[in-house]
Amino acid sequence: MHGRKAYELVKEFASGEKGHLKIFNNELFERVIEECNEHHNALQSLIRKMQEEGLEVLTARTADHYGALIHHLSLIRNKRCLMAYVYNRADIIRDLAWKVGLLHELPREIQEKFSDSEEQYFKDHSKSLKSYMSQLSLNVNVDMVPPKDPYIKVRVLEDLGSGIILSDKSANFARHSMHFLKRTDAEQYIARGLMEELTS
Amino acid sequence: MAGQSDPHISLFSAEEVEFMAEDELIEIVPNMRMDPLNFICGDFGPFLPQIATPVPLWLAVALKKRGKCAIRPPLWMSVEKLTQVLEGERDSQGAFQALPFHYVEISRLLFDHARDDIPDMYMVRSLIEDIRDVRVHKVETSLEKFSGTSAVKIPNLSAMEVNIIRPFVGRALQAFYKHDNPEKIPDVDRASSGQTRVANNEPRRPLRR
Amino acid sequence: MASGAGEWSTAQMDDYETLISTTDVELLKRAWRNEKAAPEILPFEEALVKRAKEQIQLMEETVDEFAESGHDPLIASLYQMDLDRAQFLLRSYLRVRLQKIEKFMFYIWKSDAYRHRLSTEEEKFGERCIRDIGKHLEETVLSKLPDNYQSLLKQSIISEEDDMVPEPQLDTFVVAKCQRATRPLFLDGSRQSAGFDNRDDHFQMVPGDLCILRYRPFQEELMSGNISLV
Repeated sequence: MHGRKAYELVKEFASGEKGHLKIFNNELFERVIEECNEHHNALQSLIRKMQEEGLEVLTARTADHYGALIHHLSLIRNKRCLMAYVYNRADIIRDLAWKVGLLHELPREIQEKFSDSEEQYFKDHSKSLKSYMSQLSLNVNVDMVPPKDPYIKVRVLEDLGSGIILSDKSANFARHSMHFLKRTDAEQYIARGLMEELTS
Repeated sequence: MAGQSDPHISLFSAEEVEFMAEDELIEIVPNMRMDPLNFICGDFGPFLPQIATPVPLWLAVALKKRGKCAIRPPLWMSVEKLTQVLEGERDSQGAFQALPFHYVEISRLLFDHARDDIPDMYMVRSLIEDIRDVRVHKVETSLEKFSGTSAVKIPNLSAMEVNIIRPFVGRALQAFYKHDNPEKIPDVDRASSGQTRVANNEPRRPLRR
Repeated sequence: MASGAGEWSTAQMDDYETLISTTDVELLKRAWRNEKAAPEILPFEEALVKRAKEQIQLMEETVDEFAESGHDPLIASLYQMDLDRAQFLLRSYLRVRLQKIEKFMFYIWKSDAYRHRLSTEEEKFGERCIRDIGKHLEETVLSKLPDNYQSLLKQSIISEEDDMVPEPQLDTFVVAKCQRATRPLFLDGSRQSAGFDNRDDHFQMVPGDLCILRYRPFQEELMSGNISLV
C-alpha cells in the first residue's frame, strides 16, 4: 500500500520514549526514499504516455491523469514523513546540545543512535549556541530551574569532628549538632548519609 | 527543549509558579538590627527588633530559616477569614472568592517554613485544602460556559488554578473556535506542526499529544 | 500584597503592582512571562536587558567584595539570593527566546517584521540554525528525492506557498492580566460573544481583570503593555 513504509517510520519515532532517540532506522528510511523514486518513475511514464496520446497532462481527466496524481500525492506524503522523522529527531538532538553539547562529548550510547549527518548536526548546533553565548558573554545553559536558598539547615548523623573545613566555615560537626551550611557543601555529606536536611 | 510536541515551552513549572509567588510582599518582625538591603529587586528595611516591615516572601523565609525574624501571616490566612471564604465558595456555583493570586503557594511556603508563626496552623491548612478542592471542582464544571468565545473573564482565579486549566481550556476553546470558524483555521493541527505532521487525513487524537 | 494591615483587596493589589512595577526585575519578570506564554516571538526588550545586565554585574561585584572582606555572611547570603533570582530571570528570558527561534526559524526568516524583533545576537544565532538544519535535511532527505521535490520549504515545485514551514498558532488561547484598561475590542464581528458575563459585541478589560483570551485579537494590547500574560 502506498505510504505504509513511511507511516511505519514516523510511527516508530512516535512510539519511542519522549525525548529519547532510537537508533536511526537507515534500512526503513532508505526503503522510503526508494519508494519516492519509484513513484516518480511511474509518474513520469504516465505523463509521457499521455503526451504521446496527445493529451493535455494537467487538464485531461483520464485514468492516467488520476494515476499520475496519486503517485504525486504519495510522493509528497512520503516526503513529509521523511522530513518529520528527521526534523523531530533534530528537536531531540538540539535538546541534547543544550544539555550536554556545550560541556562535553556525548556518551557513546547516545552517539550510536545518530546517523552521520545527525552527529554533524549535533556538533554544529552546539557551536551555534556557544557562539551566541560568547557574543553575549553570558551562559544561558545554567540556572535552568528557579534558584533556591543556597543555605540549608542540616543535622549531623555521625560524629564528624572538627576536621572538616567547608568553603566558608569550619565547625565541630559533632553527632546531632545542627548547622547552617551551603547546599553545595552539605550535599556530599547528605548523599553519604552523614547529615540530613532539616525543613522548618 | 524545543520539542514540537513539548507543551512546556509556554507553560510554567511548579517551581516557576513558586518563584513568582516568592516575590509577594509579607510582613516580618525582625529580632535583630540590620541595615537596609539594597537589592536589584528593590530596597527593604531597615530592620529593627520588634518593628514590622514588609519584605518579599523569599527574603522572609530566608531570614526565618536563619532565626532572624517571625513572619506575620497575611490576614486572609486566619481561620475566621478562610471559613468565610469556604462558605462563599460553596454557596456560589459560578463565582470565585477573592484570594491572592498566589494563595496556594504563599500558604504552602508558610506551612513549610513558618509553622510556629501561624495560629491554628492545622485548621488553617485544612481550610485551605478544602477551598482549593472546591475551587478546582468549580473550575472543571464551569468550562461549559466557555464555548464559542474569543475572551472569557475569569475573576479571582489563582495561579495554581490557571495552571491546571490552561492546557485543557486553551485547547477546548481552540476547538470551539475552530468549529465556529472553519474558514479561519482550515486545520489547526496541521498549522501547528507544519513540517512534522504526517498527512492531512490521519486520524487525530487532539487531546493526547 | 499588603498583608499586615487592612484586608486584602483588589485595590491594594493594584497599588502594590504599580509600586513594584518600577523595578527592572519586575519588568523583566513580566517580559519573561509574556515570552513564555505567547505563541510567537515578541520584540526583544533591548533596553531592559541592558539595564538588567548592568545591575547584575554591579551586584556580582558587591557580592565578591563581601566574600573578600569577610563581611557578615548572613547579609552576603541574602545579596547572593537576590542576585541568583535576577540571573535566573535574565537567563530564562533569553533561553525561551532562543527556543522559539529554534522552533520557528523558517517562519521568522520569511518576514522582516519578525526578524526585527530579534536582537543582533539572536539574528546571528537564527541564521546559523537555519544553515545547520538546512544542511542536515538536505543531506539526509532532500538531495535523495526527485528534482521537483527537493525544496525545503515547499512540498513540491507546484506548491504555490511555503507549505512545509512550522508556524506559531496565533489563534491559541492565553491567560492574561490587565495592567491598563484596554480599548473596547470587537471580536470577529457579530458572532463572537465576549464572555459569559458580558454578552455585548465588544469586550473591554479593566486593571486587575484576569481573562482567557484568543491570542490574535489581543496582540496589540500585549505589545503596548496594556495586558500581560500569566
